[in-house]
This record gives sequence, C-alpha cells and structure tokens, in this order.
Amino acid sequence: MSQYAMVIDLDRCVGCHACAVACRAEWNVPTEEGYRRNWLKRIGPENTPHGLSYTFYPGLCNHCDQPVCVDVCPVEPEERLFKSFKDGSSKKMAIKATYKEPFTGIVLIDKGRCEGCGACVEACPYKARYLDETLDDPKADKCTFCFERISRGEQPACVKTCIGDARIFGDLNDPASQVAKLVKAGGARRMESKVVKIGPNVYWKGKEKDIFALFKNFAPMTKTWE
Amino acid sequence: MKRRDFLKFSASTTLALAALGAGEEEGFFMAARSLADGKGAEPMPAGSLGAKEVTSVCEMCFWRCPIVGKVKNGRLIKIEGNPNSPANGARVCARGNSGVQLLYDPDRLKYPLKRMGKRGEGKWAKISWDEALDEIAFNMEKVKKKYGPHALAYFDHGSSAEFMREIFKTLGTENYSSEPAFFQCVGPVIAAYLNSMGYVVSGTRQYIDMANAKAILLVGSHIGENVHVSHVREFVAGLQNGAKLVVVDPRFSVAANKADIYLPIRPGTDIALLMAWVNYVIQHGLYDKKFVEKNCIGFEDVRNAVKDYTLEWAARICDLNVNDIKAAIRILAVESPHVAIHPGRHSTWYGKGDVERHHALAILASLFGAVGRKGGIYFPTPVKKAHAHCIRRKEKEDMEEPDESLRDKFPFVDPFPGVPTDRIIDATLTGRPYPIRLWGINGINIIQTISNPYKTMEAIKKLDFIFSEEILPGETAIWSDIVLPEATYLERYDALYAYDGLTPYLTVRQPVVEPLFDVKTPYWIARELARRLKLKCLSCKDEKEFIEEELKELGLSLEKLNSKGGIIVHKANPYRDADKLKMPTESGKILLSIEDFEDEGLDPVPQFRPTPAPPKGYARLLYGRAPVHTFSRTMNNLWLQHEWPENHAWINDEVAKRIGVRDGDEIALENQDGRRSNPVKAKVTPGIRPDCIYLPHGFGVRSKHLTKTYGKGASDNFLITHCITDPFMGSSGKRTNFVRVIKGKKTLDIPELRPIPEELPRFKLNRA
Repeated sequence: MSQYAMVIDLDRCVGCHACAVACRAEWNVPTEEGYRRNWLKRIGPENTPHGLSYTFYPGLCNHCDQPVCVDVCPVEPEERLFKSFKDGSSKKMAIKATYKEPFTGIVLIDKGRCEGCGACVEACPYKARYLDETLDDPKADKCTFCFERISRGEQPACVKTCIGDARIFGDLNDPASQVAKLVKAGGARRMESKVVKIGPNVYWKGKEKDIFALFKNFAPMTKTWE
Repeated sequence: MKRRDFLKFSASTTLALAALGAGEEEGFFMAARSLADGKGAEPMPAGSLGAKEVTSVCEMCFWRCPIVGKVKNGRLIKIEGNPNSPANGARVCARGNSGVQLLYDPDRLKYPLKRMGKRGEGKWAKISWDEALDEIAFNMEKVKKKYGPHALAYFDHGSSAEFMREIFKTLGTENYSSEPAFFQCVGPVIAAYLNSMGYVVSGTRQYIDMANAKAILLVGSHIGENVHVSHVREFVAGLQNGAKLVVVDPRFSVAANKADIYLPIRPGTDIALLMAWVNYVIQHGLYDKKFVEKNCIGFEDVRNAVKDYTLEWAARICDLNVNDIKAAIRILAVESPHVAIHPGRHSTWYGKGDVERHHALAILASLFGAVGRKGGIYFPTPVKKAHAHCIRRKEKEDMEEPDESLRDKFPFVDPFPGVPTDRIIDATLTGRPYPIRLWGINGINIIQTISNPYKTMEAIKKLDFIFSEEILPGETAIWSDIVLPEATYLERYDALYAYDGLTPYLTVRQPVVEPLFDVKTPYWIARELARRLKLKCLSCKDEKEFIEEELKELGLSLEKLNSKGGIIVHKANPYRDADKLKMPTESGKILLSIEDFEDEGLDPVPQFRPTPAPPKGYARLLYGRAPVHTFSRTMNNLWLQHEWPENHAWINDEVAKRIGVRDGDEIALENQDGRRSNPVKAKVTPGIRPDCIYLPHGFGVRSKHLTKTYGKGASDNFLITHCITDPFMGSSGKRTNFVRVIKGKKTLDIPELRPIPEELPRFKLNRA
C-alpha cells in the first residue's frame, strides 16, 4: 500500500509564491478570502532562539494518517470500486463524501455527494479546506496532491512549477523514492504539536531557526474537530 | 465555460455518467476525471491536462523564460515553463503563472482612447484606430516641423517598445531610447563593468556563476525577492552544493536568511567596506598574484588608493562588527578563485558613488582571479541571431546632433542610446537647452517608475502632445492624450529571442491565443504609424514575415523551430583558461584602475565619498521588490493581487517601540520635502536597521481604472522626490530620500539608535 507524501525543503524555498499560483491556475480556485488549496505565508523576519529568521509556510493538505476531516463527514458511506493506477489492481470500499483513497493514502472529496455542510472545513486543524460558496451548490474543496495528474505520471502542479525544486513528492512506502529516503535520513519533520497529532504526510526540513519559526507560528494547537 | 456553470454541470452529470458505465469500467476516479471537464462520455482530464500546447516566451518580467501556454476550448487556462528549456524547464514563477490573468483582466484597454478631461484625470472617449494613428502622426509631424526632431522623446521598455523605437530613431531625435531600465536601474553597474572588464557583466543578465561557486557575496542583491527563475535556480544550486554565503544589506532579506554571515551595513557606506576588504586582501596576500599580474592593469594604483582603509575603520563607518567583516572576507578569500562576487543589478542608489561601488566589486572579483573561472564571473555565449532587413530603415541617415546634446554632460553614457530621463524632464519643463514637446511612451509606468513623479506630472502638463501604448489603464494611460491598446505577449509574435547565459538557447514568442477585443500587436501599430509618417522602416507585412526572414538566415523556419519544441539549445562556453584570458577591453586586460574615468575628473580607483546620512528625526527610505510583482505592472493581476495585495512599511522593532507603532498599525510616511504617502500598514521587525524604513515597490496605484489595486498600499516613488544624478552616465540615484512616520494626527520622529560618525555628513533639510 502506498502513502503519497511531500517533503518541503525551506533551504531551497525563496518564497516566490509560484506553488500557490500554479495551484490556483491548475484548479481554477476562486480568489475569495480563505479559498485555498495551496498557499504561501511569509514568516518574519523575527527572532528565534536560533537566530533571526525570515522564512515561509508553503502549505497544502497534509493527507493525514488519521484524517479528522473524514471522521466528521456526515454523509452516509456508499460502496465504490477503486483501481490502482500503479498496478491496475482493484478493491471495493465504502466511502463518505470525503475519504482516504485506499491505494495512495490521498484524502479526496467525492464532489458528487458532498453536501456542502462545511463540517470538514471546520475540523481541519491546518485550515487546508474551504467551502466554495461561489457555487450555486457549495462544495468543500482542497488539495488532492493533483491526483489526476499523478495518476497520469505527471507531478503535482506545485511541484512542477517550484523554481527552487524545494518540493519533493512521492510514495513514502516505496523505499526507493526520494521522499522515503529524505524522511528516513531524519531532519524532515511533521508539523504536529502536543495536542494535534494526526499523522500529517507533509514533512519540513530546513535550518533550525526556520523550522522553529514555522512551527511556532503555524503548528496547530487546538483540536478543531472536537 | 464559467466556473460556476462548469460545476453545476458536473454535479448534474454524476448520475448520467454512472449510467454510461464510465464509473464501473474505469473505477471511480476515471469517472471523476471525465466529469470535471463536463464532457461525459468523451473523457477529458480536469485541470490543464489534455490542453493544446503552444510554446512561447514570458514577459511578465524581462528575464523572459521560455513557456508553454495551455489552451482548452480556445481559452488559455494555464502557463508552464517550456520543458525543453535548459534554463527553467517546466517551471515558471508566480508572475509567469499569472499571465493568464493579465490576458483576461477585465480592466484591460480594449480599444483606442482619446483623452476627454484634463491630463491625469482618466476621462476618455473611444475612437477608431484610424483616428488614433492619424492624430499621433499629425502631432509628430507638427512638432518635428516646428521644433525639430529632438523635440520628440520616446520612453521605452520591453519587447513591445522595440518597433516604435525605429520610428523615433528614423525621425532623427536623440531621445529615442530613454529607457528607465538603464537610467533608473542598471546604468551604473553597466558603466562600471563595461569600463573595467570590457563587457556588460550585469545589465539585463548577470553573468555570475553562482551554481558552481564555493562562496557567494551579495551586496544589496535581493535574489528571491527579485525573482528571475534561472538566476534563483543558480543561487539555490550553489547553496545546495555547499557554497558559503555572505550578504551585505541593511535589511534582512530572503537571501540574508540563507547567509553564513549577514552584515547589516549602514546604507551609503558600501564602498568603505569593499575598499577595506580590497586592502585586507592585498595586505594579507590573499589575492591571486599570478592572475593579477597576467590579466590586470592598475594593481599598484589600487594598492595605494586603499592603503588607509582598515577593517577597523570600515567597521566604524559601516556600523558593523569588525570580527564579522574579517570572517566574511576570509570565507571569500579561502574559496577563491571559485567565488561569485555578484555584480549587482539595480544600482541607481545614491547617484554619486554608484559606478564606484560596482567598480569596487569588479576589483574584488579580479583580485580573487574569479573571472572566466568556474564559480566566478563568466562570459556570455553568443547565440547566432539574424536581423530582418525589413525592420530597420532602408537608407542610413545620420542623426543630426543638437547644438547642445542632453547627453553632453555624461561621458560614460556611450555606447548606450538615449538621454538620461532626468534631463528629458528638465528640458520639457524649461525648454532648455532645447524644447521637448512630444512624448511617446511604451511599456513604462511613467509616473511610478521615474523618480519625482510630481515633477514628471508638471512636465507632462507642458507638452503639446503625449501618447502611449499600453495594456492596462494605469497612470501612463491617464496622463496620455491618445492611448493605444496593445496585444499582450500572449497574443503576438515578437523578434527571435536568444539567451546567452549558462544555458544558451534560441526561441521565439508566438501567440498562444488570438488578440482579444480591438487590441493590436506592437508591430502592427508601429508599421501603421510609419506608413502614415511615410518612413522607410518596418516594411515587412507582419511579424511572421520578419521572423521567417530571421530564421531563414539560420537555416530554420517557424515550423522547424516548433518541431524542436520551440527552442534550440546551444552549448555554453562560459569559462576561460586564466593563462590565455583575453578580456574584451582595448588592452585585453581588466582595468583595476580606469584612466578614462580619471580623464573626466572621476576616481580611477573608487574612493569612499560618503552619501549624506539621514537628518535628525528621519530614516532612509529603502525600496525593493515583492517577489510576486514586476515593477508597478502586476498589482492589478487577480492572482498576484490575491497573493500580495498591498505593501507594508518595514520598521525596526526597537524604533517602533520607542515611537509607539505596533505591527499592523496604519501609518503614513512623510519625506524630507513634506510629501506624504498613502496609508500603509507597519510591519514591525528586527529585520531592518533602525535608520531605515523599507517599502516594496509598485503599490499605491493612482489610476481608478485599475479596479483591483487602486488605493492599496503606498507608493515608494511618490516619496522619492530628491535625486542625485550620476556624473558618469546620468542615472537617477533614488536612495537619497528620508522619511518619518505619521500615525493618526501625530508626526513621529525616528530616534537615532545608531550614532553617526563625524566623517559622515548629514542631509540638510531645506524646509521653511
């Protein structure tokens, strides 16, 4: 079984915002306040115990191991047929309107069944989801790791455009992949806190001061789903 | 299809699709994919997959990355880098990605306009292309006849401006290429390297091999905030390969965050630091003696000129820690010759001392032997490029020099065409030494780019006629008598484009979509104007004709180029054997000491001549780039505006505490001449010196027709009212302005937290 994941290397990131805009272009995300599948926040310059830091939070959905957004979805599960784009094998699984895809570990939304209640949007401690109210029939939306692109052997849009090659994407459970190697080598960290530990699959690496500033400003501190 | 429609459609087709069996057969996701495009049984992937692709060249900034436009149903939906480009591959920056929103900006100029209200008011009437072009041609002829050719001035920037330049040139004015790109930006660095090394080490490009460097020095270069994709990539690659980084900057920039040693220098003292480093390198024998002996002229002059500049002295003048500046120069020296002494780019800082600062950087690089070697300054690789004969005028007429040229006072403006912008504005205002009565503007925000916009606006009021070619109704448009709406880079062909950096290539811009509205391409506009003026230039029928002519000379055609992915990659030849180095100077050597400068009464070797320090109560105004914006051109772009809607004034945290300003407070800035900015939010940070306030450039747009950005943020340029003209080539030094803070009704003086040494003069306030 695969678990797709991303490592973001802040040493390679210059905070150019290409990732955020490429995602908005690829998925035609409206520009209303808070509507985002992918974003870049600037941090600092501010003091840290490790020195002055001016760094970034290039964020996206973490495709968590325990996705609380899926837990809170009120839609009745229905059985669906899933097919692996890697080896063609298939399996059936009952899913709500949002679910963790069984072959990739990617958290997706079944737009056809999403009722637009906004429960998942509220639940996500990373604010990675938004409710698209520009639609007559509002739906939740979020990063899909560009599922449609990767299933065709393409890179996610944010990875493809990254000018510093700061985003490394792949299957964490494939020991030959670059993400697996980087995570195994240590130094790439999940953005968790003592309170919020739901197994995010985006990892961060960089200078100690930058990781400190990033986590201090953005690591989630409340159980938004309870 | 509108987004709203498209989702409505997809929701309603869920069941229909299931009935078609797509879901069953291919699995849930295959069905989802077809749904997203709304095509049902004919699966078409969502997003940009499956789009028609057209290769082209970006012009969201002037680095011009090769791109691919992705078109679905006749609409451009996405832009990516051209994967065949050795410079950027499939990558483009935020601006490159946002070209889509320039093309489809509802605020775009859609047809020719004639001014109805006062200049600057922005009231127009729609007119036809014939009326617009006839009126421009009539006024050009009239002004030329009455006042002579030099009464015509042309302000130009970018590829859209190239064809119309031929018209002004052919009409015989000396004011035909008065590029702010040169006189308001890169002039000093160009003059420094052209005179010391014989070529433009930094101008549009920076030939500095950071990717292969073992140490990198940046003096005020904001790589990462100034985003040029391949340049950023080379910088990041160098650091990833283990290069040490030294950053000299009064502000803690993105690059500074990545530095091994960061030196928060007192503004205006860079030459003190550089010449003290040069002295240290010479005194401690850290220079490449063999290289200097063989390849440089004037070493003894330099040794003598810098002998009194000690690190201790520099530390005091520059307000730096002496151990840090010693550690920094040792890092650079240890790694020489594979050390990238970045030449800099935007260099119109203080007016006096700008050429010298970059000359000092050239000297430092030369002492390290870091020229023509891996990791140092490298040589461009000429990419063969033909010139279509049908562009240029047929018979070569020599321009008749005016009795007193506006170029006269500036000995090193040659070999560049055009006239210092400041001088054109003065001549327009005063009529001396000759009258200037007509301006043509192409590709420039004349109000937000040229220093002292108050003076520029006064000058415009004096003109007989002013016209512009524009994409958006910004400040230039509202000050014009006639505005010509131009096709964007995504709707047109342009001349062949050759890149001569580390990854050389030849490529071409071609339309990704047909021109929208009633806009025309720059070539069409220039050709129509030339025809009306009966000029013998721009004789090719259209862009395609001259591109084919240019390609034919290279044994190519558009079809052939497109079959090769729209780009032809060349092999780079950037390095030289130090023993066989031949510089493109007269002597074939690097001039450490420049006799030509001395002949004009200027310093042959840079000397530290301090620029005035802030007056009591004021901080120096610094400006720079927001990485998602280009100049003042992109603030109205939907996606870029969303990323970075307004600028913030950076204020040192200790200063802010003393004057009672908190992060996010709304303030205004007031400069030494009493000019006040629009309201702007304060960004309180330890990442700036207490004697500086920083504003990212390009905000504070004053045209109401730019509906998304009007009134957002503050304009740095409207605070730049005091400029020093560079004596070498006439560029305008801009970091000679000082501001204090207005909060509510209170004017807050900036406390002086870093005492100023006696040797540094202070700026004298000239106020009643």
